[in-house]
Amino acid sequence: MSKMNRRNFLKAGAATGAVIAAPSLANAGSHGGKGKIVVVGGGVAGATTARYLKIGNADLDVTLIEPKASYHTCFMSNEVLEGARKLSQIEQSFDGLKAMGVKVVKDSVKSIDAKGKKVMTAGGSTFGYDRCVVAPGIDFKVDGFADVGDFSAITHAWKAGPQTAMLRKQLEAMPDGGTFCIVAPPNPFRCPPGPYERASLVANYFKHHKPKSKVVIIDRKDKFSKMGLFTGAWKNLYGYGTDNSMIEWRSAASTGGIDSISAKDMTVETLAAGKEKFDVINYIPAQKAGMVAESAGLTDEKGWCPVDKTTFESKMHAGIHVLGDASVATKMPKSGYAANSQGKVCAAAIVALMAGKEVGTPSYVNTCYSIAGDDYGFSVAAVYKYDAEKDIIAGVKGAGGLTPADASAEMRRREVEFAYSWYNNICKDTWG
Amino acid sequence: MRKSMTFALAAGALMGFVSLSSAQAADASASMLADTCNGCHGPDGVSQGPAAPTIAGMNKFYLVESMKAYKMGTNRPSTIMQRIAKGYTDSEIDAIAGYFSAKKFGRVAMQNTDAGAATKGQAIAKDLCESCHEKEGYAAEDYPVLAGQMMPYLKNNLVDFNSGARSIDNNPNMSDKEKRKKKRALEDLMAKHGDDGMAAVLNFYASRK
Repeated sequence: MSKMNRRNFLKAGAATGAVIAAPSLANAGSHGGKGKIVVVGGGVAGATTARYLKIGNADLDVTLIEPKASYHTCFMSNEVLEGARKLSQIEQSFDGLKAMGVKVVKDSVKSIDAKGKKVMTAGGSTFGYDRCVVAPGIDFKVDGFADVGDFSAITHAWKAGPQTAMLRKQLEAMPDGGTFCIVAPPNPFRCPPGPYERASLVANYFKHHKPKSKVVIIDRKDKFSKMGLFTGAWKNLYGYGTDNSMIEWRSAASTGGIDSISAKDMTVETLAAGKEKFDVINYIPAQKAGMVAESAGLTDEKGWCPVDKTTFESKMHAGIHVLGDASVATKMPKSGYAANSQGKVCAAAIVALMAGKEVGTPSYVNTCYSIAGDDYGFSVAAVYKYDAEKDIIAGVKGAGGLTPADASAEMRRREVEFAYSWYNNICKDTWG
Repeated sequence: MRKSMTFALAAGALMGFVSLSSAQAADASASMLADTCNGCHGPDGVSQGPAAPTIAGMNKFYLVESMKAYKMGTNRPSTIMQRIAKGYTDSEIDAIAGYFSAKKFGRVAMQNTDAGAATKGQAIAKDLCESCHEKEGYAAEDYPVLAGQMMPYLKNNLVDFNSGARSIDNNPNMSDKEKRKKKRALEDLMAKHGDDGMAAVLNFYASRK
């Protein structure tokens, strides 16, 4: 029984690697000539695609059009609401993309001419393209029952930035003993565990600063992402299930539906409870693909964008790719990591298509952390392959899944460490 | 281009670089597979910190060993990696490991290390760690790089080695002699230097630029 000695094996392996690597250098070099790519949107999906287009072929002419001067990530914005992070700590600049040679244009896209292959902006510019990438994220389907105007009194805070700052201010101004209401949206929506992480971290803020206060979630669903892990955390941290619980979750079945939301009165009316006044209300509306996708004719009757799931090319218009939250990428969730992963698949496909080559086999991953309190994190992960028969991005069987419900306190603490690493690394990988 | 080269290296190591195009049709390319890791481990596997380890520039064999240990799920504890590793075939793991081993181990994350502890740790490391983790932990040929690795990650793993949760005995790639040597070094670290000594060693390696 002689075991291979690691040291000898490695030395042998390293030598072989060197021999193989050397001749391939001669063949290295970019394939495919120039091509013009216009990316609409500087969020995770758009920025990742732009960056990986340049990595894949530095000769591509890549223009990214984004109305905001910088991007505030939705992920970790719940930590801003908690007070654990400043708004500036979720702000990402476009300097990294510019340094790679991506032309970043601060403007908003008004329309896309799919036949003429042109993008028109509100600023009056026209950009011709060989391929266009549309990554507009989400927009809101503001419900008829919601009288919330421009979200200046009742926030959505589901696109991070000024809305996040506004909600944080409201929570800070709220008296101890007050009640904060989150109206959680129906499926599908951006960041499925987000509303529940928000409830957790605001409860954590209350616990440390306003211990008599409470969070009420009025949900438009009967179950939610990572439900067992969240309710477990709430039991461990916030007295969930007791009379003194800092978090109350009401399912759609239990409320019987929402009849009105009023910014003027600060009330939410449900069939079961009637009109209730809250100190702060955060109304996260139902969602659809970002406006640009709709005006460009890229959406289906449900408001989302059907795509070829191996290239993210639109099924409505050839030459336009749609990815991230706006796309129908069944079974990937509308998460930041999914958008980042899709950006790489989309970029690789475009690089191949522009070079007249066959598109390679895609591989996708989702990794999503939630922080429920101090040193208390958990995650869901999946590795995906494209299933041509079912036309879905299918999770590899036996892999992925949730943090075990019985994970130790030490493992939950490590999940928080890795959540923070996730943030730093995905931002670097996305915006450079 | 570096990317083409590393792809060829990984794919070449796997298939003798006969048929790149036919390989792509069946399996995702090494870069396609490896790029999915970057969201957590950083672009090209170079972590921005604070905890997720840099995987760039590790020797390929160690990366394969790690992924297979996670995949098996018994010899190496993890938060998320056991769930991720199960998503890849052995040949995909081989391609991913080849890809990252050909990248450069970057030291870009700001780590808060204590200079005094690092100096103390340098002496302990020279005595107990250097014979395997050579060149003050910069060496990548035989064992994982420790110099500039993320301190929380290193700490978690030392804790797991000490508790036995990360099993040395069950590592299929170490000779009995290596196992004895490694266990003795870990025992000496705790017996002679205690928690402070462990912290010192962690500060030493994490502080390497």
